[in-house]
Amino acid sequence: MARILDLTSLMGAYGTRLLAELGHDVLRIESLKGDSVRQEAPVLGGAPSPEAGAFHQFLNAGKRSAAIDLATEGGRKLLLALIAKADAAVVSLPLPLAEEKLLAANPDLVLARLDDGPPELCAYASAGLLAITGEPDGKPTMLGGHVPCAAVGVHVALATAAALFGKEASGKGQVVDVSAPQCLASLAEQVWVEYSASGEMMERLGSRGGITAVAGALPCADGHWMISVPPDPRGWANFVQLVPHPAFKDDGSLADEAMRRERKQEILDCIAEWSRQQKKNEIVEQAQSLHIPAAAVTNPLELIDDPQLLARGFLKPIDHPDFGRINFPVGALASMFQQAMSIAPTLGESTALILDELGYSVSEIHRLKDEGTVA
Amino acid sequence: MTGDRPLPLSGIRVLDFGHIVAGPFCVRLLADLGADVIKVETATRQGRTGARRGQRPGGTNGRTPHLYHINRNRRSIDLNLKTERGLAIARRLIDKADVLVENFSSGVMERLGIGYGTLAKANPGLVYASMASFGQSGPRQGWTGMNVTLQACSGLMLATGAENDPPIGISNSWNDYIGGLHAAVAIVGALSKRRQTGKGCHLDVSQFEASVAMIGSLLFASAVTRRPPARLGGRSSTAAPQGCYRCAGEDQWCAISVQSDAQWQKLRALLGRDMRYDTLADRFAHHDAIDTAIEAWTGKVSPQEVERQLGEAGVPAASMRRANEIAATEEWRQVLRPLKEHGESGPKVIGLPFTFRGSAPREATEAPRMGASGNEALRDWLGLDEPAIAELMREEAV
Repeated sequence: MARILDLTSLMGAYGTRLLAELGHDVLRIESLKGDSVRQEAPVLGGAPSPEAGAFHQFLNAGKRSAAIDLATEGGRKLLLALIAKADAAVVSLPLPLAEEKLLAANPDLVLARLDDGPPELCAYASAGLLAITGEPDGKPTMLGGHVPCAAVGVHVALATAAALFGKEASGKGQVVDVSAPQCLASLAEQVWVEYSASGEMMERLGSRGGITAVAGALPCADGHWMISVPPDPRGWANFVQLVPHPAFKDDGSLADEAMRRERKQEILDCIAEWSRQQKKNEIVEQAQSLHIPAAAVTNPLELIDDPQLLARGFLKPIDHPDFGRINFPVGALASMFQQAMSIAPTLGESTALILDELGYSVSEIHRLKDEGTVA
Repeated sequence: MTGDRPLPLSGIRVLDFGHIVAGPFCVRLLADLGADVIKVETATRQGRTGARRGQRPGGTNGRTPHLYHINRNRRSIDLNLKTERGLAIARRLIDKADVLVENFSSGVMERLGIGYGTLAKANPGLVYASMASFGQSGPRQGWTGMNVTLQACSGLMLATGAENDPPIGISNSWNDYIGGLHAAVAIVGALSKRRQTGKGCHLDVSQFEASVAMIGSLLFASAVTRRPPARLGGRSSTAAPQGCYRCAGEDQWCAISVQSDAQWQKLRALLGRDMRYDTLADRFAHHDAIDTAIEAWTGKVSPQEVERQLGEAGVPAASMRRANEIAATEEWRQVLRPLKEHGESGPKVIGLPFTFRGSAPREATEAPRMGASGNEALRDWLGLDEPAIAELMREEAV
């Protein structure tokens, strides 16, 4: 598998994680203080500061870490030596060294250059995604948990994996230019298509669905559930079996999707009146047995013990040296490829090993550490 | 971007058994990377369009606008997979394929007689990607999923918004895109592995898991703290102030994200208020008060003007652009591409948001009418001549 150097910010770090999930050897090059991903909150108790960030723990899992000060001559020389032995480098702009120097050190390098663009929220607003996220009468908001960054990251992984595949065929590397603002714009495709085809503007729907006439997240005794009432008459019959509200049983006209679209709010209110007394997982199980698309609205805490994720190996119980026994999110691709994912590396965990592989002697490694070139 | 180097997936043959968004979008990514795609469709299943995409009949080439965009850059063959002959032709095409993509519910392809187990015997190099909502195993294997329900159960809606907000989602087919992108990465990875081993594989992609992975960091946090993570409502954990601020006009907003102390001083000068908050810690502690002060200013100004003034001051800001405003931005100018058949004056479609230096981007061709390029597909992939195709088609009765 390929050797990949990772010099990405938060925008690209999920991308390089996915490359590790494919089985590649990903080496994260960090500053002596650690990279910016380590600063992202939530910061977890139980570990020393550069290791305690949840984003670091997830996004850098499966990677190795070398801490190199690229502001020093020795650090840059070291980077070029690593480039010479790498198959690919994934780098958030600006590049640490001129592109010509990187490619001179390795003409067959796959070099993925990521333009991070403006801060996540601003890129999200410009792209057209902010206008479709949030409550219709409330404040627009951005998808949380740095999901927009992760969405850029998947594109970074796709672009890099494809260039690596091309290199395997031709023996030649390639420079790939990835633009984070363009990635987010491309995900607003439907906003563009609706408007260019019919002049209609997609709007914020909050927790409502825009596909079937009646769809949305509604309250339960223990949270919320999401229901999409099937549009066809048979689906409606099944739905009435699930939600035996008198208003539905007595009104035959509601079997028609067009009528339901007209009386959407009234129907949603009736469903909510019923579901407030119910437990979400119980009604969702029942809905699914009737082939009705329904799901519990879950938070990350509920997901960490999710039976589906555990059964399929997306979550794996591990003994973490700092955090004890936890269900570790292995990842969507790693679980599929049965790729073992090591926990996130401590800062500079592999620096000495990497230097050794490059042929540096023990005394040279000590000297580089002493003069502050590496850590 | 120009150049004569072939795109990375040139020469790779992909069969698209996808429907609605997730599968066909995954395939479009592969097509834009250079792959040669044939879409297998069945005229009797035309109803499976997804309602957002079904509301307005018409579109072009018999497809609604969304499906016209999603299904570009491929040929289409109309095969009824419930007939012996249709199935036989499908199998012959599959034998020639490098990749197959399907997003039916778990078990449908097996029932049609084209499950991975059957096909891999004849074509062991096949990379076969399934994209069922919850995958091909586990207690929810048979569950029905769609974009909104998957946004709900993957944690996305409770990771979004502020504390005490109701669940909040995004109005487009977000989950389909995320599933399609993950599947595409997995397929390219599997093609690389095949180059070493000669063996294909069955990629059991779960759209649910792809979506959960997007908030993997929050899962990790909850695994340790045993608490749900805070809902930040658009605020940042490393920069302040950050948020969406109400501007003059109806439902007008501007995003602002102050990244440094120096930027804060610039914003502070524009606000004209007597407040310091020189350090990041101060600004986090008084975020609410700062937000109030910012809205006292932005509420009197258009979002475009807020963006302009902050832009001049070097403070990151962007107005909330709606559909009618996006096309003018630089990123949109870069991703909008003309269709080969209609040229610059025709409809613009969305291209890949990245480029390979030395390789020209794949020219965009419009989604074909269903079955319109079946003969061409059979000629190119199976090497059949016109009489042989005519013979096949007579028996298949397309």
